[in-house]
Amino acid sequence: MERVLNKAIKIKEHLNEQYLEVKKDDFKDACVYLYQQRHAILRLMFAADERQIDETFKIYAVFSIPGIDKFFIIVLSVRDNVFTFPSITKEIPAAHWYEREIRDMFGIIPEGHPDLRRLVFHDSFPENSYPLRKDWHISDTDLKEWGEGIKQKVPYKFMEVEGEGIYEIPVGPVHAGIIEPGYFRFSAVGETIFFLEPRLFYTHKGTEKHFEGMSFFDGVRLSERISGASSFSHSDAYCMAVERMAGLEITEKAKAVRTLLLEIERLYNHMGDIGNLCAGTGLQVGYAKGAIIKERIMQLNERLTASRYLRGVNVIGGVKEDVLLKADDILSTVDIVTKKYKELMNLLNGSISHIERLENIGVLSEDIALRLGATGVTARASGINDDIRKAHPHLLYDRLEFESHTMARGDVFARMMVRAEEAECSISIINALIENRYKGELTVEVKGIPPYSSAFGYTETPRGSVFYWVMSDKNGMPLRVKLRSPSYCNWPAVPFAVHGNFVPDFPLCNKSFELSYSGCDM
Amino acid sequence: MQYFQFLIIIILSPLIQGTIKKLKANMQGRVGPGIFQPYYDLIRLLKKDMVISNVTSWIFKATPYIVFTSTVAASMIVPVITTESPFDVMGDVIALIYIFALGIFFMALASLDAATAFGGEGSSREMTVAILVEPMMMLSIFTAAISAGSTNISRIAGSGLIFSPSHVLALTAFLVAIIAETGRIPVDNPDTHLELTMIHEGMVLEYSGRYLALMEWAHYMKQMLLFTIAFDIFFPIGIANNVEISGLAMSSGIYILKMLFMAVLMALIESTRAKMRFFQLPSILGGAFVMALLSVLTYIMMGK
Repeated sequence: MERVLNKAIKIKEHLNEQYLEVKKDDFKDACVYLYQQRHAILRLMFAADERQIDETFKIYAVFSIPGIDKFFIIVLSVRDNVFTFPSITKEIPAAHWYEREIRDMFGIIPEGHPDLRRLVFHDSFPENSYPLRKDWHISDTDLKEWGEGIKQKVPYKFMEVEGEGIYEIPVGPVHAGIIEPGYFRFSAVGETIFFLEPRLFYTHKGTEKHFEGMSFFDGVRLSERISGASSFSHSDAYCMAVERMAGLEITEKAKAVRTLLLEIERLYNHMGDIGNLCAGTGLQVGYAKGAIIKERIMQLNERLTASRYLRGVNVIGGVKEDVLLKADDILSTVDIVTKKYKELMNLLNGSISHIERLENIGVLSEDIALRLGATGVTARASGINDDIRKAHPHLLYDRLEFESHTMARGDVFARMMVRAEEAECSISIINALIENRYKGELTVEVKGIPPYSSAFGYTETPRGSVFYWVMSDKNGMPLRVKLRSPSYCNWPAVPFAVHGNFVPDFPLCNKSFELSYSGCDM
Repeated sequence: MQYFQFLIIIILSPLIQGTIKKLKANMQGRVGPGIFQPYYDLIRLLKKDMVISNVTSWIFKATPYIVFTSTVAASMIVPVITTESPFDVMGDVIALIYIFALGIFFMALASLDAATAFGGEGSSREMTVAILVEPMMMLSIFTAAISAGSTNISRIAGSGLIFSPSHVLALTAFLVAIIAETGRIPVDNPDTHLELTMIHEGMVLEYSGRYLALMEWAHYMKQMLLFTIAFDIFFPIGIANNVEISGLAMSSGIYILKMLFMAVLMALIESTRAKMRFFQLPSILGGAFVMALLSVLTYIMMGK
């Protein structure tokens, strides 16, 4: 098997990224070798229209091997006239959504994929229209027609479960609470969920296409708006990608500010999420306490950066605000938060009726989490020790001492406890960061974006890993921006976790994953 | 005056709901809406147009009226501030429970009628709960009925306070029944927006406008009625046995205190506990049923 990789041509090595080009016949073997023999994790998979460079589309499959701070990127060229590539989904199930998305966006068909239904586009999107191809454009008549509703719809076939006593419960896409849209079709036997098929992408906004229409510098603002509660992580990963592509090294001070704000973002998210679980069980006091802590941190955010969601801080080349100047404010707020957090955890652990609801429901086994490529809290609560901060250290994470917490049981309780432990870890990281002094200016000068270059940016958001891959065209404008949010990886795990649970427990299970619709739909 | 004591239930029941909500909000660290909010909600709903699914039959349209009128009928039987009730003849506790059951029955039918998934779920769950709650309520009332020597609720209330171990057991069971019947935590969560977890709310999900107002109002009335019955049966202190003004004034004052006590109790329970898993409900409801059964048995065997 190893010789498959030897046959591959190393086309580029940039920082910790190794690009290995393979022939079409070897693509599957190379991916499967990394996955099965080296236990690599499929981080993301995407296509890019590079016809203006060498008349080909490229398929990229990005792997990272645990313990090695390197990305192995298997690259496959797809010629203009054969729009297919070999599917790896049967061997690596984590690829199933990526491949369907490539089909939707580029019209390149993953041969051998077991499920070739549309993923991103819904019924009214016209057939044979592939928006991420460079020669795609939309005319006024098209738009008008779409407004009136396409005549020829592409129907979506839901999976059907047959058998005695099975009935379907359709839920959504509009829900009773003020949440984002998503459609769930349950096949239940009595109150037991037998099968769940979610249909998402109601909030698909064409974000990746949108990135191509603006400069890399303007893209920061867009990246901040992809998923509200992870604004800072997204813009951090995006800036990192562009900076790596431009060959910039940001100053120590900028790194410190980014690390600090990433941890503050994690802290307010985890606090709010632990509180939200209480709303799921009906323990209103816990919910209120969680919301109060979250609000305190968000008010701190506003004092530090004038934005409750930490927007407008990141710029290409560094940060705008030196939040370390307000160290006293951060410390005093974190102290109060720590105290309140302990109170909250005491309340929750003391409430048997609450803990009872969380235990042994929504169990996601390690095996399934691994196969589906789950990330973040979801993966760690199922016993997978994967944290981008440890696996691929960036910013100041290699200097900081912290543990990444895992739990093996994979239920709702485990996801709550992993969040709780990570929150404590974030508190100690924040305290450690503030003690030191850091050298350097806030920003470094950006000399320009080199043509036809590419790089990855990544970080660990409160929900899991986020990846950006950027590539510039000959003018230094974006040729392709690929983003992969954590919710995109974790959504497919939900149906497996709720299988066999009771229908009224679904909202609680779903909440424990804390998935973003907007961040997934893009 | 005694002819109109049921009006107290009709008029003041939204206020009780508002008070419970306000108390709950304060206990949970929120400001919460004012105690008169349920009135504003009812007025707003009564003014609104209705959206009715076109697959529904007459049952869907008749149900709000049946539920509302049956609850009004139940409140006529129950002595609120005086046991001198003109509807005394009909004041049988067994009749009372079946008048409630009539409302639940039609609500369950109506929620199936619109053929939505949540309606079906709500009605099947409500029925599961109702099956467990009804006998428990009956049995706990029986204890009081046996000791008073009558199933007439005015006569039970008029027989004064009787305290025995079996009464304590019966009262506990009755309180659990109240929580289940009013759709409160830990049985149901009245504040949830999650359709998949709803029991009572799931049943009224298809209603809007005037019909919803009637259903909600009936729900408030039922809640206040159950509180009233609990006091009538187990703690009939302060209720007037005549229709003199001074007695009625005294009785009204005590009645308000009793209702306030129940409101605080409900808010406390709801704020300190999480909702139970649906399939664990039989364990708490079954436990309460056993208590009710034991109370009757001990009363019969020990004679007190």
